[in-house]
Amino acid sequence: MRGAAFHWGVAALVALFLAAPSLVVLGASLTAGNIVQFPPDGLSLRWYERVLAARDLRAAFGRSLWVATVCTLLAVPAGTLAAVAMARWRFRHAAAIQLYLLLPFTVPLIGSGIGLMLLFGELRLLGSVWPVGVACCVINLPFMTWAVAASVNGLDPELERAAANCGAGPVQCFLLVVLPAVAPGIVAGALLMFILALNEFLVSLLLVDARTVTLPVQIYNSIRSIITPDLAAVSTVYVLVAAAAILLLDRLVGLDIFLKAK
Amino acid sequence: MPAAAHPAAADIPAVEARGLARRYGDAQALRAASFTVAKGRFLTVLGPSGSGKSTLLRLIAGFERADAGDLRLFGRPVEAVPPHRRSVGMVFQRLALFPHMTAADNVAFPLRMRRWDARDIPARVERFLALVRLEGLGRRRPDELSGGQQQRVAIARALVFEPQLLLLDEPLASLDAKLREEMQLEFRRIQRELGVTTINVTHDQREALVMSDQVIVMEGGRILQDAAPETLWREPAHPFVAGFLGVGTFLEGVAADGPALDVAGRRLPGRTTAGAPAPRPGHPAQGALRAERVTLGPAGTLPPGSDAAVEAVVEDAIFEGDRILYELRLPGLGGARLRAIDADPGARARHAPGDRVAAGWARGDFLLFDASDRTGRLP
Repeated sequence: MRGAAFHWGVAALVALFLAAPSLVVLGASLTAGNIVQFPPDGLSLRWYERVLAARDLRAAFGRSLWVATVCTLLAVPAGTLAAVAMARWRFRHAAAIQLYLLLPFTVPLIGSGIGLMLLFGELRLLGSVWPVGVACCVINLPFMTWAVAASVNGLDPELERAAANCGAGPVQCFLLVVLPAVAPGIVAGALLMFILALNEFLVSLLLVDARTVTLPVQIYNSIRSIITPDLAAVSTVYVLVAAAAILLLDRLVGLDIFLKAK
Repeated sequence: MPAAAHPAAADIPAVEARGLARRYGDAQALRAASFTVAKGRFLTVLGPSGSGKSTLLRLIAGFERADAGDLRLFGRPVEAVPPHRRSVGMVFQRLALFPHMTAADNVAFPLRMRRWDARDIPARVERFLALVRLEGLGRRRPDELSGGQQQRVAIARALVFEPQLLLLDEPLASLDAKLREEMQLEFRRIQRELGVTTINVTHDQREALVMSDQVIVMEGGRILQDAAPETLWREPAHPFVAGFLGVGTFLEGVAADGPALDVAGRRLPGRTTAGAPAPRPGHPAQGALRAERVTLGPAGTLPPGSDAAVEAVVEDAIFEGDRILYELRLPGLGGARLRAIDADPGARARHAPGDRVAAGWARGDFLLFDASDRTGRLP
């Protein structure tokens, strides 16, 4: 019994640590006072009203949504095809390509960011919003391939033989049997890519200017001038959006899909 | 096309394999397999795991290509025909039902892929669900069906497009004994009803005997025997075949004229089987004896119906309900062991461990095999 109590105690402590930043920012956003503090100085929703009224924040949020959409639209086909190919076909240099696809995980974000900044600058793409989505897709693609690979690895290879046996050619087999079977992984990866792109900060910071600023960068810029509780309110909205996406993910496909990758 | 237009069509075998071989890395999975299956027959390929039987099936389905040899289905060479263009239905070992489709959609899938008229599909799916006794369950998904019901969906899916050939890759292995027996008879019924040529793969000798017109026994990538079930039972052409079909005792010795087997100075009369090379006198040989063909009697006597008897000591008597299994030691034959089954306990005297008895058998039940090359020995 004492062992169980100890385990629960440790678990509770860890859970508290994980949730602490979100709880603090939530508390601070509800303050009735004029400065960011925890615990809050009285309760009110006035800073949320302020956020809703702030045009620059709304515009930045809209740009972040666009970035996340571009990123997801690119990542879904690229990541899905890469994951299926990796899991299904034997080809030359498969191991090297697999490693290459995981490379974005190993390169520091600041390195990728500077590289992309130089590249986009050379291509005269800086100043548009969509290249930020491309950049987010590039740096986070391993999450997408990973999520799909988990589904593909769980797929019985006999299903594809069965499809062929039923008269389905390779394309029909992929579209009608493989794709629906790995759909949970695709949905999981897509939602993950969307959230990551929505939240992306460091690389965006290097790629945006005053006209194309995304929400995380906008918040960061505001902090540098003056810290007001409306930033806590924005952050809370952020946390809630991400939480909603995670809940949706759990509802649609179950989070245990991430535990099954390889 | 009407069969009458081709006078020879009736003579063309459904499957004709000549010297099929397949190698995986260093392992020779299939060695020069040659056999034919006549139209409408039920062939079972019987063998332990790793014997090459599944490889054979994959070659016929077209999932793999042979390294050597020639395979013809209904007279046509199929080497260059991809799996989705072969008229072959298959029930897979793990069934491989499409999990995101309902039972009816699974059954309709081969018809859609083969571009049947969409108006005919629902009625045909319904007919085949009825054939496998799944009326009214078409809207369920595979995970909402029991193991036996999933099995039936897989059968319907394999048969619905009227394949010329049906392949069964041990689909019954995962079922419990009672359901397995039920499905064996079910397969037989459907196969007879549709008259489709069928190749079944299994390691279950009972299943092979119950279901088949023709049985091929494989081991180590080779075909050891190709015969009707009764022939296989009565005239095993190889000691491995005899062992796989339930022969419990092999006595090692030297071949003698008669024919007979000399074991530790005793001459035991036996017979050779059709199809097996006769053991050469003076060369190593082995004698195979089914436990249920051994009769026990009082020590020193010749048990009734026996042509030969040896002295035996009962080591264990195992009560199995409808029969008693005796484990015997043969002190006169250098301590060799023998199994005997009394299939009618109560009619004869019971023996207890330690008892000295006479173990006898008829000459025709003692099967002699050449053992000069030791390939046929059981581990």
